[in-house]
Amino acid sequence: MSIQEHVQEHATEAAGKFNAGQVIIEHVSNSSHDHPLIKLPTLFGIDFSVTKHVLMLWLVAALVFVVVTWAVRRYLRQPRPIPAGFMNGLEFVVEFVRDSIVQPNVGRKWVNTWTPLVLTFFVFILCANAIGLIPIFELLGLLDRWVFHTGEHSFLKQVMHGGSTATANFNVTAALATITFGAIIVAGSLAHGFVKHWKNMAPQGLPAFVYFILIPIEIMGMFVRPFALTMRLAANMTGGHIAILSILSLVFLFAEMFGRALAGIGVGVVAVPLVVGISALEILVVLIQAYVFTLLSAVFIGMAIHVHH
Amino acid sequence: MTGLIQFFAIPLGLGMIVIGAGIGIGRLAAAAAEGIARQPSAATQITGAVNLPLFLLEGVAILAEVFALLVLFLGKPQGF
Repeated sequence: MSIQEHVQEHATEAAGKFNAGQVIIEHVSNSSHDHPLIKLPTLFGIDFSVTKHVLMLWLVAALVFVVVTWAVRRYLRQPRPIPAGFMNGLEFVVEFVRDSIVQPNVGRKWVNTWTPLVLTFFVFILCANAIGLIPIFELLGLLDRWVFHTGEHSFLKQVMHGGSTATANFNVTAALATITFGAIIVAGSLAHGFVKHWKNMAPQGLPAFVYFILIPIEIMGMFVRPFALTMRLAANMTGGHIAILSILSLVFLFAEMFGRALAGIGVGVVAVPLVVGISALEILVVLIQAYVFTLLSAVFIGMAIHVHH
Repeated sequence: MTGLIQFFAIPLGLGMIVIGAGIGIGRLAAAAAEGIARQPSAATQITGAVNLPLFLLEGVAILAEVFALLVLFLGKPQGF
């Protein structure tokens, strides 16, 4: 038997088997572009169809908007302005962002200008990260498998490949980092004037040949900072999901390798507690990454305002 | 041949990234712990000063990992 036949035989054999790589990629990646969840028309050459990550993005945005607006409105309508319940937590978050993220970096003068932006970043990223930890869609997939039996490309089938994190998509975080990129320029322009902001990027009064090296480096640094923000958030959010799924797929891989369920159960005894531990770690990572993104945004905005060379 | 090189080089690179990031974070943590032990009242300030370089370091490590994985998934070097 030639090698090709051998490979082909294995491929047909493997078709019905558990493919860990495919399961993981399907879980962390966006749903297929050809079968969007909601088909929307193409406007100005942009396809507005809703895929899994777009749905999560809208869900998070709507959730944050409705919950926060509702809580604040109710608080403002009270006869005596004493925060209670959820409003207490919200106030804690707002004060934390203002006093320990924005003010030390941006300074007392500009704190009220930049707190709203940074606070929006924090709340949105925190909710988008955290919603990926809630296994709503795994539950939907389970219901679909045992109760509803929908078709190949139905809404449920598309959405069910795991609770997806919108911030695990590089496009989402790139958009967020682009806002930071714009905010850095606006902050510098507001504080020093538009032309002075660009002059501030390199120190004055150096010999001319130094500028030939310095200016390209500064321009590169301008783009590297939002790029690093993009990659850090998205990679952290994807990484946790991949780690959890790889460890869980060991159960199925071992069960298949030895051809009996007992092997899978034996591995599962170790793998499932490990996954619980990693999930607990992920809760920390969710908080830390939201904090890191907002802190670095505030630091970069502060660097544009307080130029020190 | 190309595939083989990638499958050797990328895990090696990932390991080196982890070593580098580990040394960096370890030194930061050691210095912070020492500083706090000498001057417990400055704990919050030391934590604040340590945070930023820590996150920048982490960012560089993650960038390197993303690039390593991009080479694995997209890299098709010519001439092998």
